[in-house]
Amino acid sequence: MTLLGYTARRIVLTIPVFVGVVTIIFLVVRVLPGDPAQVALGDYASQAAVENLRARLGLDAPLPVQYLTFLAGLARGDLGHSLINGASVRDQIAYNLPFTVELSIAALALGVASGIPLGILAATRRNGSPDVVVRVLSLAVLSLPAFYVGILLVVVFGVWLRWLPAIGGGNLGSPADQLLYLALPALTLGLLMMASVLRVTRSAVLNTLDADYVRTGRAKGIRERGVIFVHALRPALLPIVSLTGVWAVALVGDSVTTEVVFARPGLGKLLVGAMLQRDYTSVQSVMVVYTAFVVAINLLTDVVYGVVDPRIRSGYA
Amino acid sequence: VEAHAREAQDGAMSTTYIRLLAALLLVTLTACAPLATSSVTPVTEQSRTGGILRVGQNASDLGTLDPHFASGTQDRALVDMVYNGLLRFKPGDTTSFEPDLAAALPVATTDAAGHQVWTFNLRHGVMCQPSEGVQSYELTSDDVVYSLQKAASKDTSAYASDYAGMTFGAPQPYTVTVTLDQPLSQALFFPRVANYSGGYIICKRAAEALGPDGLKTHPVGTGPFTFQSYSPKDKVDLVANSAYFRGQPQLDGVEYRYIADLNTRELGLRTGQLDVIAGQADDHWVGQIHSDPNLDVDVFGVGEVSTVFFNTSKPPFDKIQVRQAVVNALSRDEFQALFGSLVAQKVYSPVPEPFMAGGLTEADLAARKIDTSFDTNKARALLKDAGLENGFAFSVVTSEMPAYRVLYESMQAQLARVGIKMDVKVVDHAAMHDQIRKDVNPVVIYNAFRPSADAYLTQFFHSDAIVVSGKAPNTNFAHYDKVDEEIDGARHESDANRQEALWKQAQTKALQDVVAYPILYQDQVYARSRIVDYGHDLMSMIQLYPGIDERTRFRQ
Repeated sequence: MTLLGYTARRIVLTIPVFVGVVTIIFLVVRVLPGDPAQVALGDYASQAAVENLRARLGLDAPLPVQYLTFLAGLARGDLGHSLINGASVRDQIAYNLPFTVELSIAALALGVASGIPLGILAATRRNGSPDVVVRVLSLAVLSLPAFYVGILLVVVFGVWLRWLPAIGGGNLGSPADQLLYLALPALTLGLLMMASVLRVTRSAVLNTLDADYVRTGRAKGIRERGVIFVHALRPALLPIVSLTGVWAVALVGDSVTTEVVFARPGLGKLLVGAMLQRDYTSVQSVMVVYTAFVVAINLLTDVVYGVVDPRIRSGYA
Repeated sequence: VEAHAREAQDGAMSTTYIRLLAALLLVTLTACAPLATSSVTPVTEQSRTGGILRVGQNASDLGTLDPHFASGTQDRALVDMVYNGLLRFKPGDTTSFEPDLAAALPVATTDAAGHQVWTFNLRHGVMCQPSEGVQSYELTSDDVVYSLQKAASKDTSAYASDYAGMTFGAPQPYTVTVTLDQPLSQALFFPRVANYSGGYIICKRAAEALGPDGLKTHPVGTGPFTFQSYSPKDKVDLVANSAYFRGQPQLDGVEYRYIADLNTRELGLRTGQLDVIAGQADDHWVGQIHSDPNLDVDVFGVGEVSTVFFNTSKPPFDKIQVRQAVVNALSRDEFQALFGSLVAQKVYSPVPEPFMAGGLTEADLAARKIDTSFDTNKARALLKDAGLENGFAFSVVTSEMPAYRVLYESMQAQLARVGIKMDVKVVDHAAMHDQIRKDVNPVVIYNAFRPSADAYLTQFFHSDAIVVSGKAPNTNFAHYDKVDEEIDGARHESDANRQEALWKQAQTKALQDVVAYPILYQDQVYARSRIVDYGHDLMSMIQLYPGIDERTRFRQ
């Protein structure tokens, strides 16, 4: 099967996944206890005022009607308005999305750029001191939850050294400011990504280093650097790509806690805030965007699989 | 030899990688350091005029900035900076009023039909802030009447019931009249036209241009600060209103950030990225902040009163002996110790005596033979009288918020001593409010501040407010219906002394019937950089924040 056909088939398969997840999101959001109208008006408001608001928000409509309205809006690209303050959800996402995207990309880049070389280093120096140090450190990082790593970094670089800002997302109009505010959150998630990539790279490279073709390469006098980067690393890329895909999805999830810890704008902070406010419209719309994110990352990973290992495409023929 | 050569090559390679990565990290962080110095280092002990005050509020986002719907502290604070009332609570002291948009405090008169009339003469030259499509213009009585009518309509206000039976008139451009079907005392009327809830005055043209949804995220008033921008789930920016009628504010503006996590707010304050933060009502936390020489903490009223309500319609709490036994099994000292005596004070009536007329003191309770003493032997004896010598069990739901959860957990431990088993199920805050309004809990602990004794008593003890089954269900969790006459009588009593006596009488009855057990009130706690000067003393703020106005500044 051609790469184009393979990609098209993968895209078609994502549609039922997306619709299914969106439906589950819609139902789960409504199962949550708590009344958005009561949250919006506060505990001072009378029952009559709360019921009045519920009617105005359409929350008293039957569930199927609410569902169809939601799907119809989604089909038109209309994500609705916040039940709490009436703000356009699309505007809210438009403001917050760039912060999450830049955080995810920065963390991914940092994790891959440092994890692969360190993994190769550990593999080529198996059981040597660099290997031990790298393995212990990666294990330590993986043992800590993202929010804890974040707090440690804030304490060191924000409170003690005062080198980097501890909270916020920076001024959108200033790239330097943005970079400054991105440093600690990206380092938090990047470290976690690095530790995982490092361990998989080490394991995959170790496997290929013992292969016959690598020994043959060495016997033919190929320089060690060539043996590692051309003969050993390339076959090891498949598990690395696979893990990167999985971790890219996990990063989107970890970005939720990281954004809350750093009080950084982003989809995660948007989602948590909307859930606390019982803002159904915002919650389900942000979850839809998250779903789209995850589906897109998985799709991209599948396509990269097809590029790295053409045998996978043949399975679809 | 080949192996050694490979090893040497590997070693060189590993050294190169380590150096490269270390250099990259160092370069990144070092490059950030000078930038950080300029933009992050905040407020130091240097001379400063103007400046942006950066506030970290305990919330994930704004609810609504329409003042006639705003109810959360995060919204009330912003609304207070943008809007004015006809009158205002004296900044930092809610026990007295002063003119705001009105030129003087009004005096009640009676018209030809015998109705009570309050007449306000407006200040001249008060300018409505400019907004999208609407130029700044002078506020007149048309705006005030429009705003009060909006506050009085249930479609456009959550506080409409406060204005029932009021008619608003604008006989002159600078004169506003409020005519009441039933007279109100000054103590009850002034809060309705002051800078709180429905009393905030919105500008008619801006409101009409923005529409009801627009006002939720784009407030336009006459106050010291003008709305500049709203970044969803992140912050609201305000700028100084140079045309403010009390003069140009000292600050250039306010950056009001939504940070729900206390640790993050505290880190922001300690790193100097924030100047003021909402803190935690906990002595230990207050002590921690005090230990930083650059920071200070303000602990001030008004306090939110925590009261236990017994559902008298549910066995075994339908028996007065059981309710009395529970009261005698509880210790106010133990509850107070949860927060500390710096931030929590014991209270003896549902209406908090330090903040408003109508409250009862410990001595008042003794004089009225109301027994709220901590005496477990008496509690056991009462349970025996009620046929429950082996105790009993019941279940409640509570919010995950510490202000609620720890009270329930403490109550659980205290009741266990007399054989009462209370199962506590923790749910999120919104779910708790939802559940208790559905009458799920046989015992409810509720934290609330209300602006007057009338509001407290009407919402918690009037039969109309009984949850689920009342005419206008609200927060009468006790299902109590024995003090309607006193509450209604006090509401329309114009003599302040008689009115206060009726409020006290209502509470005396309720406490003698043991339908409620007032525990304590928790003060507001805000931490700030020492160079922040609010511009007024802080005793009590009805908006539950420190009060940021035209006099707030950074000290030189």
